[in-house]
Amino acid sequence: MASLFKDSAKISAYRDRRFNGTQEEFEQSLLNSTTVYIGNMSFYTTEEQVYELFSRAGEIKKIIMGLDKNSKTPCGFCFVLYYSREDTEDAVKYISGTILDDRPIRVDFDWGFVEGRQWGRGRSGGQVRDEYRTDYDPGRGGYGKLVQRELDAQRQLVDYGAGSLGSFPPVMPPHYDKHGGGHGHGGSHRHGRDYHRKRHRDDDRYVRESSKRTSYNESRRDSDRDSRPEKNPRFRESGNSDDDEEDDRK
Amino acid sequence: MSSWGSLLLRIGDKCSEYSSSSDFKDHIETCYGALRRELEHSSTDILPFILLCAEQLPHKIPLYGTVVGLLNLEDEDFVKKIIENTQTSFQDALDSGSCDRIRILMRFLTVLMCSKVIQPVSLVVVFETLLSSAATTVDDEKGNTSWQPRADFYVTCILSCLPWGGAELVEQVPEEIERVLVGIQAYLSIRRHTSDSGLSFFEDDESGGDLVAKDFLEDLWERIQVLSSNGWKVESVPRPHLSFEAQLVAGKSHEFGPISCPEQPDLPSIISAVACGKQKHDAELKYPQRTRRLNIFPASKTEDLQPIDRFVVEEYLLDVLLFFNGCRKECASFMVGLPVPFRYEYLLAETIFSQLLLLPQPPFKPIYYTLVIMDLCKALPGAFPAVVAGAVRALFDKIADLDMECRTRLILWFSHHLSNFQFIWPWEEWAYVLDLPKWAPQRVFVQEVLEREVRLSYWDKIKQSIENAPTLEELLPPKGGPNFKYGGEVGREKTEQDALSAELSNKVKGRQTAREIIVWIEENIYPVHGLEVTLSVVVQTLLDIGSKSFTHLITVLERYGQVIAKICPDQDKQVMLIAEVSSYWKNNAQMTAIAIDRMMGYRLVSNLAIVRWVFSPENIEQFHTSDRPWEVLFLSLYNNFSNVLMERLPDASRAGTLQELKTNHGDSMALDLEESSAMEVDDENGRPKKSRSNGGRTTNIYNVREKEQWCLSTLGYVKAFSRQYASEIWPHIEKLDVEVLTEDAHPLFRKAVYSGLRR
Repeated sequence: MASLFKDSAKISAYRDRRFNGTQEEFEQSLLNSTTVYIGNMSFYTTEEQVYELFSRAGEIKKIIMGLDKNSKTPCGFCFVLYYSREDTEDAVKYISGTILDDRPIRVDFDWGFVEGRQWGRGRSGGQVRDEYRTDYDPGRGGYGKLVQRELDAQRQLVDYGAGSLGSFPPVMPPHYDKHGGGHGHGGSHRHGRDYHRKRHRDDDRYVRESSKRTSYNESRRDSDRDSRPEKNPRFRESGNSDDDEEDDRK
Repeated sequence: MSSWGSLLLRIGDKCSEYSSSSDFKDHIETCYGALRRELEHSSTDILPFILLCAEQLPHKIPLYGTVVGLLNLEDEDFVKKIIENTQTSFQDALDSGSCDRIRILMRFLTVLMCSKVIQPVSLVVVFETLLSSAATTVDDEKGNTSWQPRADFYVTCILSCLPWGGAELVEQVPEEIERVLVGIQAYLSIRRHTSDSGLSFFEDDESGGDLVAKDFLEDLWERIQVLSSNGWKVESVPRPHLSFEAQLVAGKSHEFGPISCPEQPDLPSIISAVACGKQKHDAELKYPQRTRRLNIFPASKTEDLQPIDRFVVEEYLLDVLLFFNGCRKECASFMVGLPVPFRYEYLLAETIFSQLLLLPQPPFKPIYYTLVIMDLCKALPGAFPAVVAGAVRALFDKIADLDMECRTRLILWFSHHLSNFQFIWPWEEWAYVLDLPKWAPQRVFVQEVLEREVRLSYWDKIKQSIENAPTLEELLPPKGGPNFKYGGEVGREKTEQDALSAELSNKVKGRQTAREIIVWIEENIYPVHGLEVTLSVVVQTLLDIGSKSFTHLITVLERYGQVIAKICPDQDKQVMLIAEVSSYWKNNAQMTAIAIDRMMGYRLVSNLAIVRWVFSPENIEQFHTSDRPWEVLFLSLYNNFSNVLMERLPDASRAGTLQELKTNHGDSMALDLEESSAMEVDDENGRPKKSRSNGGRTTNIYNVREKEQWCLSTLGYVKAFSRQYASEIWPHIEKLDVEVLTEDAHPLFRKAVYSGLRR
């Protein structure tokens, strides 16, 4: 409508390196796309939450969660496919910059989902942005990967004699994110046994909170079984590991 | 952007281009100065840009008019071209029925008249042309009365110009404008009053009596009359041309060429109520009423405002919403920065809510208004959130009377809104709903909001958010997940069905094809266990595999939908299929809806099966329908509604109106005598008139019993459904009349349908 203020020429500031084509073709595909990319999500946001929010812009054809290449768990982005272009535009117009699961998310036109684009491209398996960032973001695994590796290296040098408590970060952020009792196992549990164990090891919050919540700690020790404590609100009780995870991500 | 462009765009705003001055006179002089210098080289760019700004920033039209008036002194030819362009645009807009352009260009013309750029008499001729077309349309003999919406629109446009130029017209062409006003009065007397009770936010009771609410046009006419008796002084319309009057007077007034209204559409070839109804529906779609007033707050909140100022501010706000859709920052900043000398947060809230809840549909998706409200809360953190909260409380108080569709929108809006503000709300204020029966609309509202909040977030978080009213936890949706029959229970031996389910599950995980599985079922399961068990085990198992997420579900359906289709080829079995889905997902309404919807998409269930399931005895108790528009479906649907309502509605003689239904006590005379007399007293007091909100909080003692509430809700859905699918239903209306909406059908049912269809 108000062509006076909208900068329609600049349809997207982001330029995907994987796109095979000219800048012009890229922009053209964005202009016709019925796919949106959603970024800055929490690792624990579920498809159902995405569905509930994004259906308010129109009928959803498909949702594809972005996954960490190694752990196969959500790593903070996803794609939503609509049936109509108008609904797609509405999603970008009305939802970008608003809150999903307590975080402001970014919603952009995407040039189109292609098999393989659901995997994070960072060295560590998640998104590139989580490799290099230096802030502490409890919804996205704590510190960035580079910083985490630095801290690990430092810890190895100095043994605090804390034994099985392992290491803890030098700075303790005062405020929990809404997941309170921290759980590296948020989101759908569909990702199987490996997922649970790996998150458990990497999760700073687990380590940090071990001194604060012993009861939580105890129940966490059961973590090798699939019956999660109620702390993970999104946990669902059927314990099958999902072997055909990869192919589900069509 | 060029500097003259920025100046035009930003005129009237507090901004750096104008050294943060707020004086309109300064702005106009600066802008005019810049344009004057550029006119020589850039007139071909400047001209269209002025028109674009006038069209998309209509609240600034008085400023643009004055600038053009000053330019007229410099370069008559340039301004003559502006006029010509405007005329072409205007004629185009009339021919194509572009309502917004017609309305705004007329305002522009009015303001040009104020700045002496066009002659007053030319403007009057435009008014007369429109009025004459309108009068002809509503003439019983010469016209086509189904097209009254267009006629009403033209007259609305004329009246809408008067706040901008009424004083000037009365001063300069008093007789001519008087003729127009008299003509409008005559028009009002011959046109039909519109009472679209199907579109009102609240239940309109016919028992209202003498005081019939004014329709939009009658209301506007009344405001104009008040304005004219006040010397045409309008606070909310700036009059910057007055500061330049001495200069402007020297300008040459141009002629504005003749315009013509499009011919009125032909009458239907066969005149019948139905054919005319269809035409009227078309006319309403093409020339819709811009808004319906939603009075949320008591009059005291807006009593300082002149009636006409309310109208003008609404126009401003609606235009900002229209033209700044997609530009969040500008939208919010213009919404709060209108050129009016009074505060208007309450009006702002009422206008946005009236759009959010507008029936049949608002101009934009409800999510747009959600975003605007959020942005305004952030732009005016001291004032607006409190106003929004007040609106929510006021609407909550009256929710039992609110249209069903409006209730749904309010629920969706409120849950989404709260999710952006950490779900903070004083729930303890509403904890009393637990004392109401479980079908009470207020209680249902709270429950539905909480349900949606859980979907947007997660159970524990929402439980935490209601910690000030912990008893409300009872209203939270069940925390559990799927309800799988064949998962086996701990400590219990696995049943045969459990084993079958596990076997099927393994086959799926082993990536057997649908074909293979069908063969396995046909050879091993069906012959041994029979249809019911087979169906149940297969469906539940597949649902379980697809239970982990939305994506899992559609993957299962894509791969193994054939298996389901083989087992459920006909309606009877599809009804059983839906029943299984509903049972499996009984703790999660969202997944139930998604699963059934996807199955429809994959053609595993037909619409008819869904209808049958919806109307099956177990389900009649809780109504929800969502459907695709097919004749058979509507027939069957309406027939079913009609039958089901016939069984439960009290006899027409006892309950011919909704008010009677609410206070009906039917068979249970065994009720306390005291109780029934208390209700009668309420009844005599009646409920407050709808044209003004309840002043403050009334104590609405909710006294409707379950059966009657069921009927009210169902009738509400019938109306909402008829209204929403009106366009699809109209083609089949003759059949509906013959087969469903007969004299035997209950009058309340028929009224609900007609109301929704605006018949």
